[in-house]
Amino acid sequence: MRQEIWRVFSFYFFLRKKSPKTKAFFLLSWAAVLLALVIRVYNLTGNWTESGQVIFQNILMSFFLQFLIVILALFYGTSVVTEELDNKTLPYLSSRPLARAAIVIGKYLAYLTLTTLMLISAALLSYFILSLDRDFRLIDLWAGFRYSLVLTLGLAAYLSFFTFLGTWLKKPMMVGLAFGFGWESVIQYFPGSTQKLSIAHYLKSLLPQYTTSSGKLGFLFIRLEPSRPLVAAAVLFLIVIFFLILAALIFTYKEYLFED
Amino acid sequence: MTAIIEALNLSRWYGNVLGISEVNLEIQPGITALLGPNGAGKSTFMKIITGQLKPNIGEVRILGEKVWNNRHIFRRLGFCPEVDAFYEELSGFEFLFFLLSLYGFTTAESRKKAELALELVELTEVKDRQIRSYSRGMRQRIKIAQAIAHNPEIIILDEPLNGLDPLSKRRIIKLIKEFKGEGKTIVVSSHILPEVEALTSEIVLIHQGKILARGDIYFIRELIDSHPHMIRIKSPHFRQLAKILAGEDYILNISFKPQENVVIFETHHRDRFFNRLNELILGSLVTIDEITSPDDNLQAVFDYLVGK
Repeated sequence: MRQEIWRVFSFYFFLRKKSPKTKAFFLLSWAAVLLALVIRVYNLTGNWTESGQVIFQNILMSFFLQFLIVILALFYGTSVVTEELDNKTLPYLSSRPLARAAIVIGKYLAYLTLTTLMLISAALLSYFILSLDRDFRLIDLWAGFRYSLVLTLGLAAYLSFFTFLGTWLKKPMMVGLAFGFGWESVIQYFPGSTQKLSIAHYLKSLLPQYTTSSGKLGFLFIRLEPSRPLVAAAVLFLIVIFFLILAALIFTYKEYLFED
Repeated sequence: MTAIIEALNLSRWYGNVLGISEVNLEIQPGITALLGPNGAGKSTFMKIITGQLKPNIGEVRILGEKVWNNRHIFRRLGFCPEVDAFYEELSGFEFLFFLLSLYGFTTAESRKKAELALELVELTEVKDRQIRSYSRGMRQRIKIAQAIAHNPEIIILDEPLNGLDPLSKRRIIKLIKEFKGEGKTIVVSSHILPEVEALTSEIVLIHQGKILARGDIYFIRELIDSHPHMIRIKSPHFRQLAKILAGEDYILNISFKPQENVVIFETHHRDRFFNRLNELILGSLVTIDEITSPDDNLQAVFDYLVGK
């Protein structure tokens, strides 16, 4: 099975690395680099007093974590099966000596690798653009890698969930959008353990906390009640494994019909 | 002889729509053609025997093994689907190379087999062009190539001659016949009788999801020939033509469309009718503008056979 996964991975990594969709998402990811460059130039002219680290954390939360990883995972995850159905290319895969689970896992890994490359190249570059100065220490380098690891883990979790949605539902995009940008955002405003029903909660638990507020308008702010980092990382790993297994099982036993 | 493909009591529905019903079929090595009009159930049958679909009732076995979710069978089986679908951004060579690599062949083996398959379907010259730039005939040929590239014992081809020009059709027919010579089992579907006649004499007639008849081409021809044919002739001498042929014993009915100078004959002996018509034309007794056969299609024959 491992070899079968590798074969599917190689095929889809090659196939999608030059697809227009990948190019478009690569450009989107690099919008953060452009933004970092603009801010840095502004900063060098003395018009920005915030430190690079703080600015990057804001970009990390608002762009990378709440937008980019969700959108990348949504478009690539849901397409693992639906693109084969929409393009009617599924018979080319299902008539090869491949376990159906290997098709799902191989494609998942190919898309995870592609999207991670986009994400991490953009995240690391923006981080270094904003943070590299005379005060840059070794610990800041570690922080950059830690952010990358958290983003990769988040991407893997979302991608796994959306892959499951793609194998299960006929039209997974709407449900995926509602989950990624509806549920995942709204649930974070709820205090208590409800917010633990989102992937974003565990990701934020692994990052430095900076959004706290109290007073009359406190309810407008996200009230993160973080889980312990080890627990958060373990839950994210479990999410990856659980939904990937579920997707592989569904794809193995479900019969897919073309719309004709 | 042991059957290579065995379908036992296969039935399949799509919601309320019947795909195939109670199909029992044993297929031996050689070329077997599934002949039936569009929507007859040929593709459903092929999808079931290639493990793309599950039957609602019954089972299918290839080389004694079940097919659904049995990936090992695909080393010995090649499938050319009917749909015109590809990974359009790949070149013809890349398409074959990557599909071959999914079998676990090494890079060198995949390359060699891809080159050979391209040669067989005569696409070597355009192998580096993206599939999206291929003509309909080229796309059909590259689709056939992916089914044969790994040199399988069993080849299932769903409407393989669709969209091919006459020359390409002849090449593909020759290729399929060569596979037969190598002892392979080939199942081909078509809705065009002359195509099937050119390929094989072993035909399975399928209609409305059921196997209507099975036999060699001569048996099928007999069935078809016993069906009254309508022949529409446009001629300035249409009345004279009707008068001459009215006395022939093989003419069942004659009707006219005087505004169009058309006479329509119904005959149960097409060959005798055309022999006599040739004599009349050669003897300059009548001139003919146009001859068409309004029901000379498989659907009409099938409707007749099922008593519609």
